[in-house]
Amino acid sequence: MTLTTQPPVETPPAVRARRARRAASFSPSWWFAVPALLVYAGVVLYPSIVGVFYAFTDWSGIGEGKSFVGLANFRAILGDEQVMGSLGNTLLLTVAILVVQNGVGLLLALGVHAKLKSRTLLRVIFFSPVVVSPVMVAFLWKYVYTPDPSAGLNGLLGLDIDWLGDPSVALWSIAGMVVWQYAGYSMVIFLAGLEGVPKELHEAAMIDGAGTLQRFRYVTWPLLAPALTINLMLSTIGGLKLFDQVFAATNGGPGYATETLSTVLYKQAFVYGKFGYSTAIALVLALFVAAVSLVQIYYLRSREVAQ
Amino acid sequence: MTDLRDARISRAQFFRMMGGLAVAAAATACSTNPQSGGTTATGASGAAAVDLKFVGVADQKAPMDALLAAYKQAKAGVSIAASYAPTDQVQTSLRTQLGAGNAPDLHVVYPGSGSAMSMTEIAKAGLLADLSAQAWTQTIPTGFKPAFQQDGKTFMYSAGSSVIGAIYNKKVFQEAGIDAPPTTWTEFLGVCEKLKKAGKVPIALGAQTPWVTQLINYALVPSTVYAKDPTFDDKQSAGQTSFAQSGWRDAMEMYLELQKRGYFNDKPNGTTFEQQTSMVATGKAAMAIQVSAVLPAFRDAATSPDDLSMFPLPGSDDAATVWIPAGVVVGLGASAKGKHAEEAKAFIDFLGKQENINTWAKAVAAIPLTQDASSTIDPAVESFLPFTKDRAVPFMDQRWPNAEVQPTHFAVVQELLSGKSTIDEALKKMDEAYAK
Repeated sequence: MTLTTQPPVETPPAVRARRARRAASFSPSWWFAVPALLVYAGVVLYPSIVGVFYAFTDWSGIGEGKSFVGLANFRAILGDEQVMGSLGNTLLLTVAILVVQNGVGLLLALGVHAKLKSRTLLRVIFFSPVVVSPVMVAFLWKYVYTPDPSAGLNGLLGLDIDWLGDPSVALWSIAGMVVWQYAGYSMVIFLAGLEGVPKELHEAAMIDGAGTLQRFRYVTWPLLAPALTINLMLSTIGGLKLFDQVFAATNGGPGYATETLSTVLYKQAFVYGKFGYSTAIALVLALFVAAVSLVQIYYLRSREVAQ
Repeated sequence: MTDLRDARISRAQFFRMMGGLAVAAAATACSTNPQSGGTTATGASGAAAVDLKFVGVADQKAPMDALLAAYKQAKAGVSIAASYAPTDQVQTSLRTQLGAGNAPDLHVVYPGSGSAMSMTEIAKAGLLADLSAQAWTQTIPTGFKPAFQQDGKTFMYSAGSSVIGAIYNKKVFQEAGIDAPPTTWTEFLGVCEKLKKAGKVPIALGAQTPWVTQLINYALVPSTVYAKDPTFDDKQSAGQTSFAQSGWRDAMEMYLELQKRGYFNDKPNGTTFEQQTSMVATGKAAMAIQVSAVLPAFRDAATSPDDLSMFPLPGSDDAATVWIPAGVVVGLGASAKGKHAEEAKAFIDFLGKQENINTWAKAVAAIPLTQDASSTIDPAVESFLPFTKDRAVPFMDQRWPNAEVQPTHFAVVQELLSGKSTIDEALKKMDEAYAK
C-alpha cells in the first residue's frame, strides 16, 4: 500500500473571510450561559452546599429542633453495619453492572453495526427499554421474576428460583434488570464510536491479511477507547447511586440483602427520621462517587492517549 | 431550496426568537391555577370560601370520599381537595412538606410513636394543632389514649380500632372438614395440618411486602408477652426487660414452626401482599394473618366476598390466656402552622360526630371508637369483640420509642424466613434498634 501526500491547497482570501464571519456569528459570548448557570446555581449548587451543613447536625427533618454534633454522624457511619453492608452490596452491583452491561452493549453494537437488513429496527428495539422509567421497569420485572415455577422467567427457563426473595440471588436479579434496561444505552455510545472508525483502516488491515478478530483487536478496539471511557464512567456512576430499581423491586430486602447506599440514606431520612445522619451518608456517597469517577477518567484518558 | 441545517439566522432574529420563547414560558407559568395552594377566594354564594388540602394514605380514600361529600352538604364555602398515596410515598412527600414548612392543612397521622409520621414525632416538633377542646376527645377510651395524646393533649383523630387475626376462606375450611375456627395454638396447628392434607396452602404469606412480615408476630405476641405481663412496654422502656428476654422469642419460634411444618406458601419472601390477597380470595390458600383494615381489599378480590371472615389467632394453649392485638386505625391531624388551622380543626370536629365515626369505621371494617345504637360492626370481626375489653393490646409499634425498630423487625423476619439468620440474632438486632 502506498500513501501519497498532497501539498495543501491554498484557500482563496475571500472564502477565508466568509468563514471567519460565519464562525463569529456562531460563537456566542460567554454571558449567553449566564441564565442557565444562575438556574443551575440556584436549583442545584446552593441547596447542595446548604445541605452539607445538616450533615453536622442531628436534625429530624421536621420542626426547628436541631443541634450541632460535629463529626459524630461521620463516626457513626463507620460503625454502622447497615451502611457498611450496603456499601458492599453497592460495590458488587456496580462491578456486575459495569462488566455485563458494557459487554452486552458492545456485542449489541457490533451486531447492529454489521450490514443487516433490519439493523435500524433492531437498534430501536434494543434502545427502547432505556426510555422507560426505571420504576416501571422494576414493576414489570417483578412479574418476570415471579417465584411461581410455571410462570415468568422460571417458566421460560424451566427453573424454580426465588429471584427476588432469596437473599443470595436477589442482588444479581436486580443487576439483571438494570443490565436489561441500560445495555441499549451502552450500545448507542459504542455504536457512535464504531461509526467513527475509518473504513480505510479496516480495508488496509484486510489487505494486510488480518481476520475479523484481529481487525477488532488491533483496529476497532483501540479506536473505541473514548466510547469505552464514557460508558464505563456512566455505568459506574449509575451503579453507585442505584436507587429506583431496588426501591421498587425489593425495598432493600429480603432482610438487608439488596440494600444500597442510596436506599439506606433514603430510609435514614424518611423512614427513621434521621435527616442529619442521612445527609452525612449522602455527602460521603457524593465524595466517593466523585473520587471513583476522577480516578477512572484519569486512568482511561491516559489509556486513550497511549493508544 | 436551503437545507434547514444550513439556514443561518442573524443576531436580531435570534433575540426575537428567544424573546418569544420567554414570553410564552412566562405566560404558561402565570396561568397556573392560583387557588391550588389553599388560598381564600370568593365562593359562588358570595361568602368567603376556603380551600383546604388533605394528604392521606391510600386506605383512607374510601371513608374520606364519603365524609367529604357529607361535609360539602353540611358546610358550604369550605372545599377540601384530597390526594392519596401509598404509605412509603406519603412518608416521603409529607415529611418533606412538613420539613419545608408548607404542610397541607390536614394530613395523615400514624397513632402513637414508632414511625416517622407518628403523632408523637410530629406533635413534638410542634406541627400538629391541639384538638383537646373538641367534644369527641373526651370519649377516647383510656387504653387508646397513648395513641391519640401527647402530654395529655389530643393531636390526632381516628375513627376506631382494627384487629389482627386470621382472614380465612370459610368455603375452604368446610371443604377440608373444619367446622369451627381453632381456639388454642395446638388446635390451630391441627387445622393447618388438615388443610395441608386437603391440598390447600394453609397460610398465605406475602413477606416480600415489608409490613406483612410483622403481622404473625403481632398476632402472637399479645398472648406470649402481654398476657403474662401487661406492663411489658413500661418495663422495656425502663430498660428492665428486652425483646430477647421476653415472650417475643416464643412468638418467633411459633412463626418459624409454621414455616418448618410447611404451612406457608412456597417462597414467602418472593410473594407480595397482592398475591397473598388473591390466594385467599380465590381459595388457593385457606387463610392469611392480616389486619382487619384490609378485609375490603380481600373482599374486592373474591368472587363471593361472603366466604371471607376472620378469627383471632390463638397464641396460647389455654384459651383463657389468648390475647389479641387491637390498634387504633391510621388517623389524621390538622397542621398547626397552616393559614386555615381553624377551618381544618372544624372538619375534624365534624369527623368526631358519632354518625361520622360510624361511617369511617364501616368503610375500613373497624370497631368504632365510640358506639351508639346506629353503630355497626363488621360481622367478620365480631369474634374479636369479647377480647377488646381486657384482653387486647395496641399494635406493638405504637409504643416503640423510635422509627427504627419496626423496619428492623421487617428485615429480621425476612432473614429468618430465608434461613439466613437465627432468632437470637434477630432479637439482638431489634433490641439494638430499640436502644437507639
